[in-house]
Amino acid sequence: MAGTMRKRFSELNFPGRLIAVEGLDGSGKSTQIRLLQRWLELQGLKVFFSEWNSSELVKSATSKAKKMELLTPTTFSLIHATDFADRYERQLVPLLRAGYIVLCDRYIFTAFARDVVRGCAAEWVRGLYGFAALPDLTFFFKARLEVSLQRILDHRQQLKYFEAGMDMKLSPDIHESFRIFQGKILDQYLAMIDEYGFLVVDANQPIETQQSVVREMVAARLNLDAFALPRT
Amino acid sequence: MNRMPTPSPSESGHIRFKRRERRHVTTPVPTPKRFYGHGLPGVELHRLVGKLVVVEGADCSGRSTQIARLVEWLEGCGHATAQVGLKLSSLVSHELERAKQGNILSRITLSLFYATDFADQLENTILPALKAGAIVLADRYIYTLMARDMVRGMDEPWLRNLYGIALEPDAVFYLNVSPEQLAQRNFTKNRTLDYWESGMDLGLAREWFDSFLVYQRRIYEQFQRLQQHYGFEIVNGNRPIEEVNAELRRKIEAVVVRKR
Repeated sequence: MAGTMRKRFSELNFPGRLIAVEGLDGSGKSTQIRLLQRWLELQGLKVFFSEWNSSELVKSATSKAKKMELLTPTTFSLIHATDFADRYERQLVPLLRAGYIVLCDRYIFTAFARDVVRGCAAEWVRGLYGFAALPDLTFFFKARLEVSLQRILDHRQQLKYFEAGMDMKLSPDIHESFRIFQGKILDQYLAMIDEYGFLVVDANQPIETQQSVVREMVAARLNLDAFALPRT
Repeated sequence: MNRMPTPSPSESGHIRFKRRERRHVTTPVPTPKRFYGHGLPGVELHRLVGKLVVVEGADCSGRSTQIARLVEWLEGCGHATAQVGLKLSSLVSHELERAKQGNILSRITLSLFYATDFADQLENTILPALKAGAIVLADRYIYTLMARDMVRGMDEPWLRNLYGIALEPDAVFYLNVSPEQLAQRNFTKNRTLDYWESGMDLGLAREWFDSFLVYQRRIYEQFQRLQQHYGFEIVNGNRPIEEVNAELRRKIEAVVVRKR
């Protein structure tokens, strides 16, 4: 299924809106979406935050599998799609039907980028997520590769096996593997900017500058008054 | 012509060879393998020298009985075998069982869960066994998974893309047993009808027995649909075990263990 054929939630007449953030680990996207959430909540709006890879049942399977390093590119892709589907059907769609602004820290594009780098066919992965509508707004936090890498390395002593793409045997050195892997993911993201109409935010700027950009874009594109919590 | 030894049924119904006939073991001719769709990354198809035989059918259609006899026969003929079934992978089988018990996952999620399990078995059991030159007997394959989902209204092109990772088997047999006969066999074996095999999640009928019959008929309709696309053999499973097995052996002999 081509990206252009997919519809956004607004085009499907959902009363709610979905805002997604995408970018490399260490691009600062999680910080930005949390700040956006605060801002929206303080205006008394119906807001819900959802994270990639977080549904209960699937979590038990993925963490076990990751520990045991049992996953191949295909099962890695499928297990994440399962997790996403669980969240999508059980949480995202009902909230969007109920008129919420749903904030997603990563959406299907994370899978499109990662799984293709791992060797899965691009059309296959896109087809897998064919049930999912597109976000109404997708912010892409574009930082220089070295900046993202440094942020991750500064904050953690240990890189995780899959996060560093060690399963791909890019390099026996975990830091070098991480560098190569993230570089390939960045290339995939950059190629999707036009296809999916990402709103690109310069993530090399200070946090506050980025947040102003994000808030302005959201205010310009959504009629925020429509999402007010019912008065009690 | 160098023919495969013709087994004669023993008194217990199992297979016996005449002593002389067991010695000469012939190697099946390797046939080119292909994936249904995009396939799996990094698989060298030419190295899959074994054969993949799939037996499909509802619960109590006689799949496992037939497979057990085929294994006995094939090994008697000197071929190494390996067996796989749905929902047995170490990756997610535990979670799948929990999900089924609690009936807590929605359609797409459950469908992807099964696909994950299938992919895990394909990569970790089926492909290694095929590389090693075994005749792999699969107790159900992607068709059951697809038929169940199609009965529940899932998008067929979506399912075809999803299962484009699957290797095309060398032979697929669908044991077709009438819903009435299946119900009788279920009662003899388990004394009750299974919730999922009766399609109780679909609200087809108020009574369990009626739901079972409607559901099994619908599953069969989907198998007929799938047959048009994937072209497998529908075998009449309403007959005695021996008769069905003789037909399977004849067909496997022709398709799978063809001699040079």
